[in-house]
Amino acid sequence: MKFEIDKATRDRLEMIRERGRAEARPIGLEADRLGRPIPVDDPYFAKLIERGEGRTRWSGPAPKEPKGGAGGPSQVTVMSLLFVEELAYWDRGVMVATPGVGLPEGNVLAMGTEEQKERFLGPFREPDRPRWACFAMTEPGAGSDAAAIQTSARRDGEGWVLNGAKCFIGNASRSDWILVQATLDPSKGRAAQRAFFVEQGTPGLGGFRIEKKMGLKAYESTSFTLQDCRIPASNLLGGEERYEKPSGFKSAMRVFNAGRPIVAANAVGIGRAALDEAREFAREHGLLGDARTRDRLERAARKLKMARLLCLRAGWLADRQKPNIVEASMSKAVAAEIGQEVTSLGMELLGTVGARGDHLIEKLYRDVKAMDLVEGTGQIQRVIMARKLVGLPRD
Amino acid sequence: MFDFEAGDDLDLIVETAKSFAQEELLPRLREHEAARSVDPAIRATFGEMGLAGLELPESLGGAGLGALARVLVNEELAAGDPGAALALDPLGPALYALAELGGEEALRTFALPLLDLDGARALLVCDADADLEIGEEVSGRVPWVPSDRADLLVITRGDEALVVRDGIQGSELRGSGLRAAGASELVLDAAPVLARYCDPQAAGRARARARLYTAALLVGTMRQAASASLEYALDREAFGRPIAHHQGLSFLITDMRAAVDGARLLLHEAAWRVDQGIACEAAAATAFAEAVEASTLVGPNGVQILGGHGFMQDYPLEKHMRECRALGLVQGGIDAAREDAGQALCAAPSPFPLSHVEGAG
Ligand SMILES: Cc1cc2nc3c(=O)[nH]c(=O)nc-3n(C[C@H](O)[C@H](O)[C@H](O)COP(=O)(O)OP(=O)(O)OC[C@H]3O[C@@H](n4cnc5c(N)ncnc54)[C@H](O)[C@@H]3O)c2cc1C
Repeated sequence: MKFEIDKATRDRLEMIRERGRAEARPIGLEADRLGRPIPVDDPYFAKLIERGEGRTRWSGPAPKEPKGGAGGPSQVTVMSLLFVEELAYWDRGVMVATPGVGLPEGNVLAMGTEEQKERFLGPFREPDRPRWACFAMTEPGAGSDAAAIQTSARRDGEGWVLNGAKCFIGNASRSDWILVQATLDPSKGRAAQRAFFVEQGTPGLGGFRIEKKMGLKAYESTSFTLQDCRIPASNLLGGEERYEKPSGFKSAMRVFNAGRPIVAANAVGIGRAALDEAREFAREHGLLGDARTRDRLERAARKLKMARLLCLRAGWLADRQKPNIVEASMSKAVAAEIGQEVTSLGMELLGTVGARGDHLIEKLYRDVKAMDLVEGTGQIQRVIMARKLVGLPRD
Repeated sequence: MFDFEAGDDLDLIVETAKSFAQEELLPRLREHEAARSVDPAIRATFGEMGLAGLELPESLGGAGLGALARVLVNEELAAGDPGAALALDPLGPALYALAELGGEEALRTFALPLLDLDGARALLVCDADADLEIGEEVSGRVPWVPSDRADLLVITRGDEALVVRDGIQGSELRGSGLRAAGASELVLDAAPVLARYCDPQAAGRARARARLYTAALLVGTMRQAASASLEYALDREAFGRPIAHHQGLSFLITDMRAAVDGARLLLHEAAWRVDQGIACEAAAATAFAEAVEASTLVGPNGVQILGGHGFMQDYPLEKHMRECRALGLVQGGIDAAREDAGQALCAAPSPFPLSHVEGAG
C-alpha cells in the first residue's frame, strides 16, 4: 500500500494553487456577485489559450504510443482526481467554464471515427481562440432516467433530422458543437439511443436560454431546442457501422462512470475550501479554544479525508482497468454528501455572518449542492451500487 | 503514488488469518462467548500460525511486521470474532506502550515471558478509561477490561506508561460484548509500579498504534455485520420479493458498505503512516473516530435488516452490534480521538491542512 504523491505532481498542484488563488477564485467570486457566466470574450479565457490550456487530449491522427509500458500502470485518472480537487478548491464554476472539449471528450475518443476526431477534436489541438464543446443528455422530462429521453433522430435521405429539447447543458450556447443524445425510437429505450454532433449555427438548433442557478454561476447551464435540425450522416458518433449490433447507450454510461470520481473529487475540493475558510474564521474570532468548534472542524476534516480516499481508490481501479462501478458511485454518493455537510458546518461556524450572503463559505454552500445532482444524483448512485451489490431490479 | 493493494507478502498472511477466522472462529462464536474463552485446540492452532508475534521484532523471535500487517490481520480475525481475536493475542495493544516507550529491554522483561504462558494476557489501560491514583504505587478501579485475567497491566497517562503486575484483584463481569475474551473489573490496591517510562513522541506513536489495533477490530466486526445482513436480505422475502430489492433497504445496504469502506481506507492510510515512520497520531485518531462512528451505523442496522430475528441470539447480528459498541469505548473512546485530531487540525501551521501540496494530513 502507498499513499504518497511525487514531487512533480506536487509542483503541478502548487501551480494550480497559485493560479487558483490569483485568478480563478476572484473571477468566480465576481461571476457569483454579478450573477452571470464569465463572458466568452473575457480576457481570462484568451490568457488561458495563450498559456496552452483548453486543448484536447487527442494526440492527433498519428498512431498512439503504447500505454502503461515501463512506468507501470497508467495513473491518468488518479492524477486528474488530484488536479480537479485542487481546481474545484479555488472555483468549481470557473473550472467548468474553462475552454476545452470538456465532458464529451471521453465519448469522442472512445467511440469517434478517425474522421470525426479530426473534424471535431482537431480544432482543439492548437486552438486559435477559446473553444468549447458540450454533451447534452438531460431533457426537461428526463434526467436520472436517461433511457427515457425523447429527443428524436430520424433518418432522412443523406442525413439525420433531430427534434427535441435539452436542458441544463454546460457551456452549450458557446460550444462549437454539441454532442446530442437522441433516440431512434423512444419505445425502445437505451438500445435505440445514439449521439450526434450538432454544430453551432446549424439551422433548427436554437432557443438558447441560460438558466439562473443557485450557484456555480461562472459557467452557463443552458437549455435549447432542436427543431427539424438537419445534420449530415457523418455526424452520427462512431458512424453507422458501429451501431449494427452494440447499444449506443452503454458508451454514454461509460463516460458518466469515468466522471463520477471526478465530480466526487470536486466535492472534496469545495469542502476543503470551506474547511480552510472556517478554520481561519474560527482562528480570527478566537473560537479554536472552543471544543464544539474543534469538533465541527475535526468532523469536516475526517470526512473529507475519507471521501478523498474513496475517490482515489475508484480512480486507481480505473487506471488498472479494474471494474469500479460500486467504488465510483460510492465515492460520488459519499463525497457529495460530505461536501454539503462541511459547507453547512462552515455556515454554522460563521453564524449570522453566513446569512449576509457575502462570505466565500456561503457561496461554497450553494455551489457544492450541484455535486449531488450532476452525473447521477446521490439516489441514482445508490441505485447503481444496489444493482451490483444486491441485484436491485430495474423496475 | 497510490497503491490500494496490500502486496503479495501481506496478502498471504491475511489469507491465513482469514481462513482461520472463517473456519475456526466464526462457526464457534456463541460457544466461545459462553465459555468466556477460546477452545484450547483452536488456541493451539493459532499459536502454530505465529500471528501472536506479528509485530514483535525479529530479534525477539517475532515476525517483525508493522502496523499495516496488524490492522489487516485484526480485521480478518474480528470478522470471525473480535472477542476471540483479543483472547488469542497475549500482548494486545499493551505491546505498543512497552515497545515504543520501553524499547526492546521492556519487551524482553515484560512481554516475552507472557508468550510462554498459556492464555496469558497483557492489558492496556488508558487512564481516561479508569479511576486510578498514580504515585509510587497505583490504586483504584478499572471498571472493565475484556479479560478474565491480568498477567500484566500497562497503564498509559499522557506521555507516560507504567507497568504493573502485582496487587491486582479481578472480579468477573458479564460484559456487554467481547465475552470470548472475558470481562472483569480490576481493583488495584497499592500495586507496585515495576517500570515507568516517559517520552512524549513515543507515547504518541503508542497511542496511535493502540487506536489502530482497535479500529481494525471494529472494521472487521462491522464488515461482518454488513455482509451477514446483506446475505440475509437477499434470502428473506417480504411483499413478494427479497427484502434487499426494496429500494429503502437497498440504500441502507449501500450506505453500510460505504461506511465500512471509508473507515477501512482511513485505517490503512494511518497504518501506512505508522510504518513509514511519519506523523501518524492525528491520522490514527481520525481512523479510530471514523471506525467508531461507522460502527454505530453498521452495528445497529445489521440488526435492523434482520428485523425481529436480528434481536434474537439465533443470529450473530445482535452480538456484532454489542461488540461494535464495546470496542468503540476504549482508549478514551471517540471523544478523546476527536479531541486529539481536532487539536492537531487547529494547531496545523499551514492554511491548507488537507492539501496534497504540503503532504496531506
Ligand atoms: C449545475 C448542473 C449542470 C448540469 N450539466 C449537465 C450537462 O452538461 N449535460 C447534461 O446532460 N446534463 C446536465 N445536468 C443535468 C443533470 O445531470 C440532471 O439534473 C440529473 O441527472 C438529475 O436529473 P433531473 O434533474 O431530471 O432529476 P430527476 O431525474 O427528475 O430526479 C428528481 C429526484 O428523484 C430522484 N430519483 C430519480 N430516479 C430515482 C430512482 N430510480 N430511485 C430513487 N430516486 C430517484 C432523484 O435522485 C432526484 O432526487 C446538469 C445539472 C446541473 C444541476
